[in-house]
Amino acid sequence: MVATIVAFLPALWTASLILHLGRPYILRTLRRMGLRFGADIWWMTYLLLRDGVLFITLGVSLIYFQPNLVKNFDLPITGPLAALFLLLALVVRLWRRIDDDRGAYRLSTILLVIGATLYYVPLVFAIEGADQSYLAGFAEKFTSSSNSTAALVIMWVSLIGIIIVAGAVFVWAMRFANRTMRRSLPPEQPSEPESRAMGA
Amino acid sequence: MTVADLTNSIISGGNDGLEGFLEGTMVAVLPVVWLLILGLHLARPYFLQMIERFTLRLGADLLWIIYVILRDFMIISGVVMSFMFFFPDVLTGNSLPITGNLAAVTLLAVLLIKQMGDPDHDLGHYRLCTYLLGLGAIFYFVPYILGVQFNAVASGSLKSVSDFLVSGSNTDWAIVIAYVSMALMGIIGVVAVVYALRTGGRPEAEEPIVSEAEGWQR
Repeated sequence: MVATIVAFLPALWTASLILHLGRPYILRTLRRMGLRFGADIWWMTYLLLRDGVLFITLGVSLIYFQPNLVKNFDLPITGPLAALFLLLALVVRLWRRIDDDRGAYRLSTILLVIGATLYYVPLVFAIEGADQSYLAGFAEKFTSSSNSTAALVIMWVSLIGIIIVAGAVFVWAMRFANRTMRRSLPPEQPSEPESRAMGA
Repeated sequence: MTVADLTNSIISGGNDGLEGFLEGTMVAVLPVVWLLILGLHLARPYFLQMIERFTLRLGADLLWIIYVILRDFMIISGVVMSFMFFFPDVLTGNSLPITGNLAAVTLLAVLLIKQMGDPDHDLGHYRLCTYLLGLGAIFYFVPYILGVQFNAVASGSLKSVSDFLVSGSNTDWAIVIAYVSMALMGIIGVVAVVYALRTGGRPEAEEPIVSEAEGWQR
Protein backbone atom coordinates (compact mmCIF):
# COMPACT_ATOMS: atom_id res chain seq x y z
CA MET A 1 0.00 0.00 0.00
CA VAL A 2 2.74 2.45 1.00
CA ALA A 3 4.73 1.57 -2.13
CA THR A 4 1.67 2.14 -4.30
CA ILE A 5 1.03 5.51 -2.65
CA VAL A 6 4.66 6.54 -3.06
CA ALA A 7 4.59 5.42 -6.70
CA PHE A 8 1.37 7.37 -7.33
CA LEU A 9 2.40 10.63 -5.62
CA PRO A 10 4.47 11.95 -8.58
CA ALA A 11 1.34 11.64 -10.71
CA LEU A 12 -0.66 13.65 -8.17
CA TRP A 13 2.02 16.34 -7.84
CA THR A 14 2.32 16.67 -11.62
CA ALA A 15 -1.45 16.90 -12.04
CA SER A 16 -1.61 19.53 -9.27
CA LEU A 17 1.00 21.70 -10.97
CA ILE A 18 -0.50 21.35 -14.44
CA LEU A 19 -4.00 22.22 -13.24
CA HIS A 20 -2.78 25.19 -11.19
CA LEU A 21 -0.60 26.61 -13.96
CA GLY A 22 -3.23 25.92 -16.64
CA ARG A 23 -5.56 28.60 -15.25
CA PRO A 24 -5.01 31.10 -18.12
CA TYR A 25 -6.09 28.46 -20.66
CA ILE A 26 -9.20 27.63 -18.62
CA LEU A 27 -10.16 31.31 -18.40
CA ARG A 28 -9.52 31.83 -22.11
CA THR A 29 -11.87 28.94 -22.95
CA LEU A 30 -14.40 30.15 -20.36
CA ARG A 31 -14.66 33.59 -21.98
CA ARG A 32 -15.71 31.98 -25.24
CA MET A 33 -18.67 30.10 -23.76
CA GLY A 34 -21.89 31.43 -25.22
CA LEU A 35 -24.04 30.50 -22.25
CA ARG A 36 -23.56 31.22 -18.57
CA PHE A 37 -24.61 27.61 -17.87
CA GLY A 38 -21.76 26.13 -19.91
CA ALA A 39 -19.27 28.55 -18.41
CA ASP A 40 -20.37 27.62 -14.91
CA ILE A 41 -20.02 23.87 -15.61
CA TRP A 42 -16.59 24.42 -17.14
CA TRP A 43 -15.36 26.53 -14.21
CA MET A 44 -16.88 24.20 -11.61
CA THR A 45 -15.22 21.16 -13.20
CA TYR A 46 -11.88 22.97 -13.22
CA LEU A 47 -12.15 24.11 -9.60
CA LEU A 48 -13.22 20.67 -8.35
CA LEU A 49 -10.39 18.96 -10.21
CA ARG A 50 -7.72 21.53 -9.28
CA ASP A 51 -8.50 21.84 -5.59
CA GLY A 52 -9.54 18.18 -5.25
CA VAL A 53 -6.23 16.93 -6.64
CA LEU A 54 -4.32 19.33 -4.35
CA PHE A 55 -6.25 18.14 -1.33
CA ILE A 56 -5.78 14.46 -2.22
CA THR A 57 -2.05 15.06 -2.72
CA LEU A 58 -1.87 16.56 0.76
CA GLY A 59 -3.84 13.67 2.23
CA VAL A 60 -1.63 11.06 0.56
CA SER A 61 1.51 12.97 1.64
CA LEU A 62 0.63 12.26 5.26
CA ILE A 63 2.55 8.97 4.96
CA TYR A 64 5.67 11.13 5.30
CA PHE A 65 4.70 11.92 8.88
CA GLN A 66 4.82 8.35 10.15
CA PRO A 67 8.23 7.85 11.82
CA ASN A 68 8.34 4.08 11.33
CA LEU A 69 7.71 4.40 7.60
CA VAL A 70 10.22 7.25 7.29
CA LYS A 71 12.88 5.12 8.96
CA ASN A 72 12.18 1.82 7.19
CA PHE A 73 11.02 2.81 3.69
CA ASP A 74 12.91 4.49 0.87
CA LEU A 75 11.13 7.85 0.84
CA PRO A 76 12.31 11.26 -0.41
CA ILE A 77 13.95 12.90 2.59
CA THR A 78 12.31 16.30 1.94
CA GLY A 79 8.84 14.79 1.32
CA PRO A 80 7.46 16.17 4.63
CA LEU A 81 8.67 19.69 3.75
CA ALA A 82 6.96 19.36 0.36
CA ALA A 83 3.73 18.47 2.18
CA LEU A 84 4.15 21.54 4.44
CA PHE A 85 4.52 23.83 1.42
CA LEU A 86 1.50 22.18 -0.18
CA LEU A 87 -0.53 22.90 2.96
CA LEU A 88 0.66 26.52 2.90
CA ALA A 89 -0.47 26.79 -0.74
CA LEU A 90 -3.90 25.48 0.31
CA VAL A 91 -4.02 27.92 3.23
CA VAL A 92 -3.36 30.82 0.84
CA ARG A 93 -6.46 29.64 -1.04
CA LEU A 94 -8.42 29.63 2.19
CA TRP A 95 -7.36 33.04 3.48
CA ARG A 96 -7.15 34.97 0.24
CA ARG A 97 -9.14 34.73 -2.97
CA ILE A 98 -6.55 33.38 -5.37
CA ASP A 99 -8.99 33.50 -8.28
CA ASP A 100 -9.42 37.27 -7.88
CA ASP A 101 -6.17 38.34 -6.27
CA ARG A 102 -3.11 38.13 -8.53
CA GLY A 103 -0.76 38.42 -5.56
CA ALA A 104 -2.39 35.45 -3.84
CA TYR A 105 -2.19 33.37 -7.02
CA ARG A 106 1.49 34.21 -7.37
CA LEU A 107 2.17 33.32 -3.73
CA SER A 108 0.31 30.04 -4.12
CA THR A 109 2.28 29.27 -7.32
CA ILE A 110 5.62 29.94 -5.60
CA LEU A 111 4.69 27.71 -2.64
CA LEU A 112 3.58 24.90 -4.95
CA VAL A 113 6.74 25.10 -7.06
CA ILE A 114 8.96 25.00 -3.96
CA GLY A 115 6.99 22.00 -2.66
CA ALA A 116 7.19 20.19 -6.00
CA THR A 117 10.94 20.81 -6.23
CA LEU A 118 11.45 19.46 -2.72
CA TYR A 119 9.52 16.38 -3.77
CA TYR A 120 10.78 15.70 -7.30
CA VAL A 121 14.54 16.18 -6.82
CA PRO A 122 15.10 13.51 -4.12
CA LEU A 123 12.51 11.24 -5.75
CA VAL A 124 14.11 11.20 -9.20
CA PHE A 125 17.79 11.38 -8.24
CA ALA A 126 17.76 9.44 -4.95
CA ILE A 127 14.85 7.00 -4.73
CA GLU A 128 14.54 6.19 -8.43
CA GLY A 129 18.26 6.61 -9.18
CA ALA A 130 19.74 4.61 -6.31
CA ASP A 131 21.09 1.89 -8.62
CA GLN A 132 23.12 4.38 -10.66
CA SER A 133 26.69 4.36 -9.32
CA TYR A 134 27.28 8.10 -9.96
CA LEU A 135 24.17 8.97 -7.91
CA ALA A 136 25.06 6.71 -4.96
CA GLY A 137 26.26 9.53 -2.69
CA PHE A 138 23.24 11.70 -3.43
CA ALA A 139 20.88 8.75 -3.03
CA GLU A 140 22.35 7.89 0.37
CA LYS A 141 21.92 11.44 1.68
CA PHE A 142 18.44 12.07 0.29
CA THR A 143 16.77 8.70 1.01
CA SER A 144 14.96 8.55 4.35
CA SER A 145 15.97 4.97 5.22
CA SER A 146 19.70 5.49 4.60
CA ASN A 147 19.85 8.89 6.32
CA SER A 148 17.23 8.30 8.97
CA THR A 149 18.57 10.80 11.54
CA ALA A 150 18.26 13.75 9.17
CA ALA A 151 15.00 12.34 7.77
CA LEU A 152 13.42 12.18 11.21
CA VAL A 153 14.60 15.71 12.09
CA ILE A 154 13.07 17.04 8.84
CA MET A 155 9.89 15.08 9.57
CA TRP A 156 9.50 16.45 13.12
CA VAL A 157 10.25 20.03 12.04
CA SER A 158 7.70 19.72 9.21
CA LEU A 159 5.18 18.17 11.58
CA ILE A 160 5.55 21.12 13.96
CA GLY A 161 5.03 23.42 10.97
CA ILE A 162 1.92 21.47 9.94
CA ILE A 163 0.52 21.65 13.49
CA ILE A 164 1.14 25.43 13.71
CA VAL A 165 -0.47 26.06 10.31
CA ALA A 166 -3.40 23.73 11.08
CA GLY A 167 -3.89 25.47 14.46
CA ALA A 168 -3.88 28.87 12.78
CA VAL A 169 -6.46 27.65 10.25
CA PHE A 170 -8.61 26.30 13.11
CA VAL A 171 -8.54 29.65 14.97
CA TRP A 172 -9.24 31.54 11.74
CA ALA A 173 -12.18 29.24 10.91
CA MET A 174 -13.69 29.77 14.38
CA ARG A 175 -13.31 33.55 14.16
CA PHE A 176 -14.73 33.57 10.66
CA ALA A 177 -17.74 31.50 11.77
CA ASN A 178 -18.30 33.75 14.80
CA ARG A 179 -18.16 36.87 12.68
CA THR A 180 -20.37 35.70 9.82
CA MET A 181 -22.89 33.54 11.69
CA ARG A 182 -23.50 36.08 14.47
CA ARG A 183 -24.32 38.63 11.80
CA SER A 184 -27.04 36.35 10.39
CA LEU A 185 -28.68 35.58 13.78
CA PRO A 186 -31.91 37.48 14.67
CA PRO A 187 -31.42 40.15 17.38
CA GLU A 188 -32.08 38.78 20.88
CA GLN A 189 -35.41 39.75 22.49
CA PRO A 190 -35.17 41.13 26.07
CA SER A 191 -36.57 38.42 28.36
CA GLU A 192 -39.63 39.35 30.45
CA PRO A 193 -39.56 39.04 34.23
CA GLU A 194 -40.99 35.69 35.31
CA SER A 195 -43.83 37.24 37.35
CA ARG A 196 -45.12 39.23 34.36
CA ALA A 197 -44.89 36.24 32.10
CA MET A 198 -47.05 34.27 34.53
CA GLY A 199 -49.78 36.94 34.27
CA ALA A 200 -49.31 38.40 37.66
CA MET B 1 16.48 -16.52 8.98
CA THR B 2 14.25 -14.97 11.65
CA VAL B 3 10.52 -14.32 11.39
CA ALA B 4 11.24 -10.60 11.10
CA ASP B 5 13.62 -11.19 8.16
CA LEU B 6 11.04 -13.34 6.43
CA THR B 7 8.32 -10.71 7.01
CA ASN B 8 10.54 -7.95 5.67
CA SER B 9 11.43 -10.05 2.61
CA ILE B 10 7.75 -10.74 1.87
CA ILE B 11 6.86 -7.05 2.30
CA SER B 12 9.79 -5.99 0.13
CA GLY B 13 8.86 -8.53 -2.55
CA GLY B 14 5.24 -7.42 -2.42
CA ASN B 15 6.22 -3.76 -2.75
CA ASP B 16 8.51 -4.45 -5.71
CA GLY B 17 5.77 -6.54 -7.31
CA LEU B 18 3.17 -3.80 -6.84
CA GLU B 19 5.50 -1.16 -8.23
CA GLY B 20 6.22 -3.40 -11.21
CA PHE B 21 2.48 -4.01 -11.67
CA LEU B 22 1.76 -0.26 -11.61
CA GLU B 23 4.53 0.49 -14.11
CA GLY B 24 3.53 -2.45 -16.31
CA THR B 25 -0.08 -1.29 -16.34
CA MET B 26 0.96 2.24 -17.26
CA VAL B 27 3.14 0.95 -20.09
CA ALA B 28 0.22 -1.11 -21.39
CA VAL B 29 -2.25 1.80 -21.13
CA LEU B 30 0.01 4.54 -22.56
CA PRO B 31 -0.36 3.50 -26.24
CA VAL B 32 -4.14 3.73 -25.82
CA VAL B 33 -3.78 7.15 -24.20
CA TRP B 34 -1.56 8.30 -27.07
CA LEU B 35 -4.09 7.07 -29.64
CA LEU B 36 -6.89 8.90 -27.83
CA ILE B 37 -4.81 12.09 -27.65
CA LEU B 38 -4.12 11.99 -31.39
CA GLY B 39 -7.68 10.96 -32.26
CA LEU B 40 -9.31 13.70 -30.19
CA HIS B 41 -6.90 16.39 -31.37
CA LEU B 42 -7.32 15.51 -35.04
CA ALA B 43 -11.11 15.08 -34.71
CA ARG B 44 -11.59 18.81 -33.98
CA PRO B 45 -13.18 19.55 -37.42
CA TYR B 46 -15.71 16.75 -36.84
CA PHE B 47 -16.76 18.25 -33.50
CA LEU B 48 -17.03 21.74 -35.00
CA GLN B 49 -19.28 20.39 -37.75
CA MET B 50 -21.44 18.67 -35.14
CA ILE B 51 -21.73 21.88 -33.13
CA GLU B 52 -23.01 23.77 -36.15
CA ARG B 53 -25.89 21.28 -36.45
CA PHE B 54 -27.17 21.86 -32.92
CA THR B 55 -30.39 23.82 -32.75
CA LEU B 56 -29.90 24.69 -29.08
CA ARG B 57 -26.90 26.67 -27.91
CA LEU B 58 -26.96 24.65 -24.68
CA GLY B 59 -26.32 21.36 -26.49
CA ALA B 60 -23.52 22.90 -28.52
CA ASP B 61 -21.85 24.30 -25.41
CA LEU B 62 -22.11 20.96 -23.61
CA LEU B 63 -20.66 19.03 -26.55
CA TRP B 64 -17.75 21.47 -26.79
CA ILE B 65 -17.10 21.30 -23.04
CA ILE B 66 -17.11 17.49 -23.05
CA TYR B 67 -14.79 17.43 -26.06
CA VAL B 68 -12.32 19.92 -24.58
CA ILE B 69 -12.33 18.21 -21.17
CA LEU B 70 -11.72 14.77 -22.72
CA ARG B 71 -9.02 16.04 -25.07
CA ASP B 72 -7.09 17.99 -22.45
CA PHE B 73 -7.57 15.38 -19.74
CA MET B 74 -5.98 12.80 -22.03
CA ILE B 75 -2.96 15.06 -22.63
CA ILE B 76 -2.56 15.64 -18.88
CA SER B 77 -2.90 11.88 -18.27
CA GLY B 78 -0.24 11.25 -20.91
CA VAL B 79 2.22 13.56 -19.11
CA VAL B 80 1.40 12.13 -15.69
CA MET B 81 1.68 8.51 -16.80
CA SER B 82 4.94 9.16 -18.63
CA PHE B 83 6.62 10.20 -15.43
CA MET B 84 8.27 6.79 -14.99
CA PHE B 85 10.35 7.50 -18.12
CA PHE B 86 12.28 10.02 -16.01
CA PHE B 87 13.31 7.54 -13.30
CA PRO B 88 16.83 6.21 -14.09
CA ASP B 89 16.35 2.91 -12.24
CA VAL B 90 13.02 2.20 -13.91
CA LEU B 91 14.52 2.94 -17.33
CA THR B 92 17.53 0.69 -16.89
CA GLY B 93 15.58 -2.12 -15.23
CA ASN B 94 12.63 -2.38 -17.63
CA SER B 95 11.95 -2.66 -21.33
CA LEU B 96 10.58 0.78 -22.14
CA PRO B 97 10.57 2.84 -25.36
CA ILE B 98 13.91 4.65 -25.31
CA THR B 99 12.42 8.00 -26.38
CA GLY B 100 9.27 7.76 -24.27
CA ASN B 101 10.50 10.68 -22.15
CA LEU B 102 10.94 12.88 -25.23
CA ALA B 103 7.35 12.03 -26.15
CA ALA B 104 6.31 13.27 -22.69
CA VAL B 105 8.26 16.49 -23.32
CA THR B 106 6.25 17.13 -26.50
CA LEU B 107 3.01 16.62 -24.53
CA LEU B 108 4.14 19.12 -21.90
CA ALA B 109 5.11 21.54 -24.70
CA VAL B 110 1.55 21.23 -26.07
CA LEU B 111 0.20 22.08 -22.61
CA LEU B 112 2.55 25.09 -22.50
CA ILE B 113 1.19 26.32 -25.84
CA LYS B 114 -2.33 25.90 -24.48
CA GLN B 115 -1.37 27.89 -21.39
CA MET B 116 0.33 30.75 -23.26
CA GLY B 117 -1.46 30.69 -26.61
CA ASP B 118 -4.84 29.88 -28.08
CA PRO B 119 -4.73 26.71 -30.23
CA ASP B 120 -8.53 26.62 -30.54
CA HIS B 121 -8.61 29.94 -32.38
CA ASP B 122 -5.09 30.64 -33.57
CA LEU B 123 -4.15 28.58 -36.62
CA GLY B 124 -0.42 28.89 -35.98
CA HIS B 125 -0.77 27.60 -32.43
CA TYR B 126 -3.02 24.73 -33.57
CA ARG B 127 -0.50 23.71 -36.22
CA LEU B 128 2.33 23.86 -33.71
CA CYS B 129 0.36 21.62 -31.33
CA THR B 130 -0.35 19.18 -34.17
CA TYR B 131 3.33 19.01 -35.19
CA LEU B 132 4.37 18.47 -31.58
CA LEU B 133 1.80 15.71 -31.09
CA GLY B 134 2.93 14.07 -34.32
CA LEU B 135 6.55 14.24 -33.20
CA GLY B 136 5.60 12.87 -29.79
CA ALA B 137 3.69 9.98 -31.39
CA ILE B 138 6.79 9.12 -33.44
CA PHE B 139 8.95 9.28 -30.30
CA TYR B 140 6.55 6.94 -28.53
CA PHE B 141 5.25 4.49 -31.13
CA VAL B 142 8.41 3.84 -33.17
CA PRO B 143 10.50 2.50 -30.26
CA TYR B 144 7.41 0.93 -28.71
CA ILE B 145 6.48 -1.14 -31.75
CA LEU B 146 9.89 -1.70 -33.36
CA GLY B 147 11.68 -2.03 -30.02
CA VAL B 148 9.60 -3.20 -27.08
CA GLN B 149 7.03 -5.26 -29.02
CA PHE B 150 9.33 -6.51 -31.80
CA ASN B 151 12.24 -7.51 -29.59
CA ALA B 152 11.35 -11.16 -29.11
CA VAL B 153 10.78 -11.98 -32.78
CA ALA B 154 13.48 -9.81 -34.41
CA SER B 155 16.72 -11.37 -35.62
CA GLY B 156 20.01 -10.26 -37.17
CA SER B 157 20.45 -6.54 -37.78
CA LEU B 158 16.78 -5.95 -37.00
CA LYS B 159 17.41 -7.37 -33.54
CA SER B 160 20.26 -4.87 -33.06
CA VAL B 161 17.96 -2.00 -34.08
CA SER B 162 15.25 -3.35 -31.83
CA ASP B 163 17.65 -3.62 -28.87
CA PHE B 164 18.81 -0.07 -29.49
CA LEU B 165 15.25 1.23 -29.15
CA VAL B 166 14.61 -0.47 -25.79
CA SER B 167 15.78 1.31 -22.62
CA GLY B 168 16.68 -1.88 -20.72
CA SER B 169 19.05 -3.12 -23.44
CA ASN B 170 20.55 0.28 -24.31
CA THR B 171 20.99 1.83 -20.89
CA ASP B 172 23.72 4.36 -21.81
CA TRP B 173 21.59 6.05 -24.45
CA ALA B 174 18.46 5.71 -22.33
CA ILE B 175 20.06 7.59 -19.42
CA VAL B 176 21.45 10.34 -21.68
CA ILE B 177 18.06 10.82 -23.37
CA ALA B 178 16.39 10.84 -19.94
CA TYR B 179 18.66 13.66 -18.71
CA VAL B 180 18.13 15.66 -21.91
CA SER B 181 14.36 15.20 -21.46
CA MET B 182 14.59 16.24 -17.81
CA ALA B 183 16.40 19.42 -18.84
CA LEU B 184 13.73 20.15 -21.47
CA MET B 185 10.96 19.46 -18.95
CA GLY B 186 12.68 21.80 -16.52
CA ILE B 187 12.91 24.57 -19.13
CA ILE B 188 9.24 24.18 -20.09
CA GLY B 189 8.28 24.14 -16.41
CA VAL B 190 10.26 27.32 -15.68
CA VAL B 191 8.65 29.10 -18.68
CA ALA B 192 5.17 28.02 -17.48
CA VAL B 193 5.83 29.21 -13.92
CA VAL B 194 7.29 32.55 -15.09
CA TYR B 195 4.24 33.09 -17.33
CA ALA B 196 1.89 32.25 -14.46
CA LEU B 197 3.72 34.61 -12.10
CA ARG B 198 3.83 37.40 -14.69
CA THR B 199 0.14 37.21 -15.56
CA GLY B 200 -1.09 36.25 -12.08
CA GLY B 201 -3.03 33.35 -13.59
CA ARG B 202 -4.90 35.55 -16.10
CA PRO B 203 -4.94 34.83 -19.85
CA GLU B 204 -3.10 38.07 -20.62
CA ALA B 205 -0.26 39.89 -18.95
CA GLU B 206 -1.13 42.55 -16.42
CA GLU B 207 -1.76 45.80 -18.27
CA PRO B 208 0.29 48.78 -17.08
CA ILE B 209 -1.65 51.43 -15.21
CA VAL B 210 -2.07 54.38 -17.54
CA SER B 211 -2.78 57.86 -16.26
CA GLU B 212 -5.86 59.67 -17.55
CA ALA B 213 -3.78 62.11 -19.59
CA GLU B 214 -1.79 59.28 -21.20
CA GLY B 215 -5.01 57.43 -21.92
CA TRP B 216 -6.47 60.38 -23.79
CA GLN B 217 -3.25 60.87 -25.76
CA ARG B 218 -3.53 57.30 -26.94
